[in-house]
Amino acid sequence: MDLLLQAHNLTKRYGATVALSEADFELRAGEVHALLGSNGSGKSTLSKIVTGLVAPDAGELRVGGQPRRFASPAQARARGIAAVYQELSLVPDMSVQDNLWLGHEIGGLLGINARETARKTDELLALFRPVAGPRFRAQTPVAELAPDERQLVEILKAVGNRPRILILDEATASLGARQVDRLFELVSGWKAEGLGIVIVTHRMEEIFRIADRATVLRNGRVVGSVEMKDTTRAALVGLISGEAKRALQVEAKAPAGRSLPALELSLRAAERLEALELQVYPGEVLGLGGLQGQGQRELLLALFGALTMVGELKVGGRPHRFAHPAEAMRQGLAYVPGDRNREGLLATRSIFENFMLPAWDGYKTGTVLQVERAQKAVIETGERLKLKYGGLELPITSLSGGNAQKVVLGKWLLRHPKVLLLDDPTKGIDVGAKAEFYHLLNDLRAEGMAVIFNSSDEDELLSLCDRVLVMLEGCIVAELSGAALNRAALVEASLGLKGEEGAKTIGGGEASRP
Amino acid sequence: MTRGKPSGLLSALLTPPVIALALALLLLLLGELYRPGFASLEQIANILRIAAFLGIVAIGQTLVILAGGEGIDLSVGAVVTLGAIIIYRFTGGSDALLLPALLLSLGVGFAIGLINGVGVAWIRIPPLVMTLGMTAVVKGLILVYTGGRPQGATPPSMKAIISDPWVLGIPGDVFIWVILGLGVTFLLQRTAYGKALYAIGSNRTTARLSGIRVERMLILTYGLSGLFSALGGFVLLGYLQNVFINLGDQYTLPTIAAVVVGGTALAGGIGGYAGTMSGALLLTLIASLLFTLGLPEFGRQIVYGLILLVLLAVYGRGRRLRG
Amino acid sequence: MKRLTSQLVAQPYFLALVLMIVGFAVIALFQPNFFQPRTFGNNLRSYLPLICLAVAQTIVVIGGGIDLSLGAMLTLSSVVMVRTFGPEFEVPPDRIAAGILLGLLVATLAGAVNGWIVAYLRLQPIIATFATSFVWGGLALWVLPQPGGNVPQGLQDLVRLNALLPFTLWVVLFFGLGWYFFLRTKGAKALFAVGGNPQAAYASGVNVDLTRLLSYAGGGFFTGVGALFLVGDVATGDPLIGAPLTLASVVTVVIGGTRLSGGAGGIYGSMMGAAVYYLLINVVALAVIRFGWSSQLQTLLTGIVIVLALAGPGLVYLTQQLRRRA
Repeated sequence: MDLLLQAHNLTKRYGATVALSEADFELRAGEVHALLGSNGSGKSTLSKIVTGLVAPDAGELRVGGQPRRFASPAQARARGIAAVYQELSLVPDMSVQDNLWLGHEIGGLLGINARETARKTDELLALFRPVAGPRFRAQTPVAELAPDERQLVEILKAVGNRPRILILDEATASLGARQVDRLFELVSGWKAEGLGIVIVTHRMEEIFRIADRATVLRNGRVVGSVEMKDTTRAALVGLISGEAKRALQVEAKAPAGRSLPALELSLRAAERLEALELQVYPGEVLGLGGLQGQGQRELLLALFGALTMVGELKVGGRPHRFAHPAEAMRQGLAYVPGDRNREGLLATRSIFENFMLPAWDGYKTGTVLQVERAQKAVIETGERLKLKYGGLELPITSLSGGNAQKVVLGKWLLRHPKVLLLDDPTKGIDVGAKAEFYHLLNDLRAEGMAVIFNSSDEDELLSLCDRVLVMLEGCIVAELSGAALNRAALVEASLGLKGEEGAKTIGGGEASRP
Repeated sequence: MTRGKPSGLLSALLTPPVIALALALLLLLLGELYRPGFASLEQIANILRIAAFLGIVAIGQTLVILAGGEGIDLSVGAVVTLGAIIIYRFTGGSDALLLPALLLSLGVGFAIGLINGVGVAWIRIPPLVMTLGMTAVVKGLILVYTGGRPQGATPPSMKAIISDPWVLGIPGDVFIWVILGLGVTFLLQRTAYGKALYAIGSNRTTARLSGIRVERMLILTYGLSGLFSALGGFVLLGYLQNVFINLGDQYTLPTIAAVVVGGTALAGGIGGYAGTMSGALLLTLIASLLFTLGLPEFGRQIVYGLILLVLLAVYGRGRRLRG
Repeated sequence: MKRLTSQLVAQPYFLALVLMIVGFAVIALFQPNFFQPRTFGNNLRSYLPLICLAVAQTIVVIGGGIDLSLGAMLTLSSVVMVRTFGPEFEVPPDRIAAGILLGLLVATLAGAVNGWIVAYLRLQPIIATFATSFVWGGLALWVLPQPGGNVPQGLQDLVRLNALLPFTLWVVLFFGLGWYFFLRTKGAKALFAVGGNPQAAYASGVNVDLTRLLSYAGGGFFTGVGALFLVGDVATGDPLIGAPLTLASVVTVVIGGTRLSGGAGGIYGSMMGAAVYYLLINVVALAVIRFGWSSQLQTLLTGIVIVLALAGPGLVYLTQQLRRRA
């Protein structure tokens, strides 16, 4: 058997987080090999190492039997490896043709061979012409194309260089059904020509249509590699979700008081969001589940007044419009971001200042701050959070990831919010800090706080939430609670499969989308 | 004594403001060795006074740079000139008109700064381009207001306030500088404005998601920069007793250098006015020493440029593309 | 014809084109002698250094940077030329060649140093090039402390050439043609990609850092060409002459429709922007004379007009935002 690619013991760490741990992977000529796994399982990291976009900390990569280390995507491409990335790698202001050939233009030093380029561009575009719109032409700026057409350009860009290994990382996510059909026709053809194709996707149905083999990752480790003809959908779902034990069993979930919702939203539209409705009650933890990037983050930002939205929002039964987070804060909302370095911390400031940033309102006379009173309050909150720190005036960067995340959450407690919006707050923090966070969340719920909790960790959704809304492509596709809130239902709803075991789907027509 | 302590103490002491101050003292010593009399009391008072002008004008620059986003105000020099000229002309030498003239001058400076802020925050013109363009406008304003030749006089009380020694032969402007220094440090450390300023300089997304109205803060900060520049004009007028068309120009670039030398990062969000004060002292001493050494204009320019570059390389690096 | 018009309106330099035509029209109405062959050539000749700087700044800005040391670089390059030509009135040919080459080399090197600082040391371009502008300015003062020196007659004659068209228009045509062919090279694709989306360019195998460095070096080279024309025009060296042209070069780029954030635009608009810049000054001057305003008002009006031109694209953006919100 002709092995195009072998990866052995690949490991990649980001700070304290292990994204990929001793992963093995191989790709044969003439096969379609699927990489599967839930959020943060390491499948994207693995494909980025293969394409030279990310440098591994350890491990070996062999291409065509030769050991290789790629210092850049250009080097990987020189070895015949091309990739279609999840985040688009196109330059919006440049034309379709210029994007297709960027970095490997046809021609010599004197200039680009215009005629040859045009001919080859037409050849490539013809592959998708029947399933694309009228603007799908060589000279159209990419910015003017629809998202699905941009994705097609991205695919053609990878193919144009006649690679031996092609990596399709969520390449079908924004494509319509006819475009996917056409792509799979082409993939079958390339396979017959002896190409090795790696496909990363969350659409289970596609995997069974096109893949020959599948490798499943969980928590950065390879947990299995199977021939598609020897497996079933249930077996794969089981492999993806694993038998992870619950990190914390909640003693008894208090039935949410169905009196007056703390917050009610009837959304018509917002960036990356379709029409949807939700209510959250005092003393309730409402989970947001699904694959990452399905609009959960945008939903929280829209509620917090940080993204423009169209729709009705009620807080404590009264209608509000928030044009700025400051207005949402005044009504008792608080937002804890997941990307704490980008959105939650002031990296150059002290622990104390990070704590007090949203809370100074309550600690000043006129414009003069009551620093001593604020210090006392911060110390008390620090004790409640079991924060480990050397001193209030030390820089925030002196804290570990878990402790820094406690500050990002704890700063809001000084304001005593009524509604807490959490955007994947435990990502990349250690187990101990997670457990402390879970206890805190339970305490806050007991105090009557309403919590909307987006999490990429299924265990958290299962053990901490009273109800979970599963999101897919900007819609709520399932509402799970009680007995219906279980792992299988969660995974299946996330993948857009028909619900079973009483998982009821809501949201009307949107739920039937692929 | 434990082993950890001295290094902790040392690192607490080795902050940019302290280093700049230590360097300043070292230079003073070197100057004295090279040319006895360099560190005489009279000479020190003189250096303090020159540093005071630079330091007062650099207040606004400190605020604007702390606010981040490539913040910088190149119009400070022109506003210094305009501020001085307004008082010179409006009072015509009358003590009675001094207070209204000062208020007018500060108001005009504030308004010019606000326009800078609107251009930067709302219209999204890069601060450097906006404030450089504003310099041309303010210079035009000065020409229109004075007809090219400023007429007027300095009220006699200004000499008493600014130029004459208060105690120990130390002139008034040095005291004014120290009082302003305390005030600005209080503003930065103990008011909501100061905390918000550091926050937007450190991370605008975090600041916005914590309820801070970033655009308003920016506009106000550029406004304050204009106001403090006009105040610098007031002090400069009290010392010189006279004005000319490009009075303040020579202060624009040294204010930036003073801020950076004092440890305020050009990327924003870290630093403070104490640093700028020691930076102003250090730069004044360097200039004075270079002058004593007979270093010509071109050498001073190159030294300024290189100091800026070296400090930038220490503080303001961007991120790599590759993970 | 209709299609041509709609295509023209869609061009980023459309605003510059309109302003330029209006400017020339106003001047034709109120100052007809502007277009007499001799005066026209003389007027256009004074545009030359800024046209070169506009081209230089455009290249750097498209690549995602900005160079605020171009004015000082122009000065440095010009005084190096004048110093190398030497004090004698009759400059020997080998020294003419040496002066020109050395001047171009110094400017290109200075640009490359800026590019290295920005691309490899990863300093913020605005402030880093602002800092190097002192270094170039200081070096210029060191090379030539006082205005003076000689410029070979041949060079002076060259920029005064008026064969069919004034020399300036030949230069513009030459630059325009060069740009047309440059756009069809790999280098151009890399330049636009690096300015438009550096991550995408990197993922596509473009050497992002090297492209950045070369964009600054290219800017340096065109600044050197500007210095060459400058000394030919003013026939002497001056260690302070270039500084005001830095802001002007940024203004020409903005008026010409090149986005300051990079990845789009071109030199056609910037060269028109250079013409618009001088025409605005000229029109303000005409108005001042016509209405009997003071010459002081002229400085103010010029400043305001330039700030408005700078704010133009931002104002368009702002009104779009407001309209969307409404």
